[in-house]
Amino acid sequence: MEPIIKVENLDLYYDKFQALKKISLEIPQNKVTALIGPSGCGKSTFLRCLNRMNDLIEGMRMDGTILFHGEHSESSAYDVIGLRKKVGMVFQRPNPFPMSIFDNVAFGPRQQGEKNKQVLKEIMEKSLKQAALWDEVSDRLSESATKLSGGQQQRLCIARAIAMEPEVILMDEPTSALDPLATQRIEDLIEELKKNYTIIIVTHSMQQAARISDKTAFFLMGEVIEYGNTADIFANPNDKRTEDYITGRFG
Amino acid sequence: MGSKSLSRVDRITYFLLTIVGLISASFIVFISIFIALKGVLPFLTDNLGLGSVSLFKFLTQTVWLNGPTFVSTAYGAGFLIVNTLYIAFLSLLISFPIGVLTALFIAKIAPKKIAGILRTIIELLSAIPSIVYGLVGVGFFLPIIYSLARSFGYSSSGGSGTLATVFVLALMSIPTITSISEVSIRSVDQSIEHASLALGATFTQTRFKITLLAAKSGIFSGAILAIGRSLGEATAVSLVAGNARSGPTFGLFDITSTITSTMLTGLKETQGIDYDIRFSLGIVLMVVILLTNMILNYIKKKVGNVHA
Ligand SMILES: Nc1ncnc2c1ncn2[C@@H]1O[C@H](COP(=O)(O)OP(=O)(O)OP(=O)(O)O)[C@@H](O)[C@H]1O
Ligand SMILES: [Mg+2]
Repeated sequence: MEPIIKVENLDLYYDKFQALKKISLEIPQNKVTALIGPSGCGKSTFLRCLNRMNDLIEGMRMDGTILFHGEHSESSAYDVIGLRKKVGMVFQRPNPFPMSIFDNVAFGPRQQGEKNKQVLKEIMEKSLKQAALWDEVSDRLSESATKLSGGQQQRLCIARAIAMEPEVILMDEPTSALDPLATQRIEDLIEELKKNYTIIIVTHSMQQAARISDKTAFFLMGEVIEYGNTADIFANPNDKRTEDYITGRFG
Repeated sequence: MGSKSLSRVDRITYFLLTIVGLISASFIVFISIFIALKGVLPFLTDNLGLGSVSLFKFLTQTVWLNGPTFVSTAYGAGFLIVNTLYIAFLSLLISFPIGVLTALFIAKIAPKKIAGILRTIIELLSAIPSIVYGLVGVGFFLPIIYSLARSFGYSSSGGSGTLATVFVLALMSIPTITSISEVSIRSVDQSIEHASLALGATFTQTRFKITLLAAKSGIFSGAILAIGRSLGEATAVSLVAGNARSGPTFGLFDITSTITSTMLTGLKETQGIDYDIRFSLGIVLMVVILLTNMILNYIKKKVGNVHA
């Protein structure tokens, strides 16, 4: 199957500093791809290229191509809003809007002009169910989202992203602020979601990458050192640096 | 906190802070008692044989003084209360959107340099004494309003009146609303703005639906402060209001008067009942401001807490 995202020779600079060096990666559809690597190696930077959130950073410059469904999503002519509707994002720290649970999930569709209360209700219920949060919040949808627990908030953020019916969901260390139980729930959820979505997840946990991902890319100082099937990478890495990192002997 | 857990230093600090707090609080009590003691005289004494003022009439009548000064005690301030609230409300209708949009512009849209310059200007504007705003009102707004009224075939009293007062108060309030809103807009957690953008919302949608929403509590505080300032402003208002002696006034080109402008007008040239009654107005003003503040704070709590 054609990869949904194809990155070729991607260089990225923050002013003079080169954060990404000649990255080439193909992201398969409806699979979970994990991005691993030590802090500061450029994982988040790479992730933000895929939905053009880096555009917000002053002094950012990018070379190379990022093909989304074969189209140059990196070009200035590409419809960024349209891209972000198809490539959703879940952030490291849960960041619900200061509004009700319902309004959080309905926010995206509403900005696209959906006003029909019934339609919004259906989207909201479906998204919350997919995010495995429905049972916990169905009786308090009008309550503030910020009153939820951290793990619930993160699942709400996933539901909020799902409500846009994206094709890809980018997740930047979505469980790093959560306890083991909440982490477990999100991991189960990702397992479930990959049937319908392509997921790219940044994680610092080797176990998490090994557990949930099909593909793994190992980043080091702005470069992709190794990319392949998760099972292969963890069983017999080609590169010594990859091996050192995944066995915890790094640095 | 049990007092056992306090160290010696803690206890001394606690004691000193309590004293300071009590002193500040006692100023307010002192001022209130002073105004109240003088302000109740017209109602309780016979005002050197003129007869006492009826409290009910004072609060409900629509003519400031029925009869000659120093002879009559038929004072009425009901219309002043209405005028004061009406004018404060209208001025907020102008200053609130302008102030909030300016704040949004400074905090989120303007390039850093321009934002810095604008911030300084706003600070300077809020430091300008109210008499200057009054002069701007007299020299700038009055002629414009006068010709505007004439072009509508309306004869105004040199431009003085509701509209001029509303403009002057709005102008005075804009810096307050802007600077307080700007601080709270700037302190909005960027990550929720990013979340909105990442959902495919435009910058405009994000700013209006997310940024302003998250900053609403601070924006509301700015509005409350502005209303307080409008209700209590005397100098500038008395220069442009036209000092109507009866009311209430709803027409924009008609002369009006507020609680404060009436207190101030001729304060130094009068005595006896006509002097004391201004202290009664002072009580009315304090009660109006207190009640307005309580109501607005209640609304703020209701509105602000729902999903914060
Ligand atoms: N907005 C920015 N401006 C300038 N430099 C940046 C910016 N964001 C990241 N960098 C730099 O780019 C490099 C890569 O950062 P990035 O956040 O992508 O790393 P990361 O792999 O996600 O790290 P972590 O695991 O700690 O999240 C780092 O050296 C960082 O200092
Ligand atoms: Mg990161």
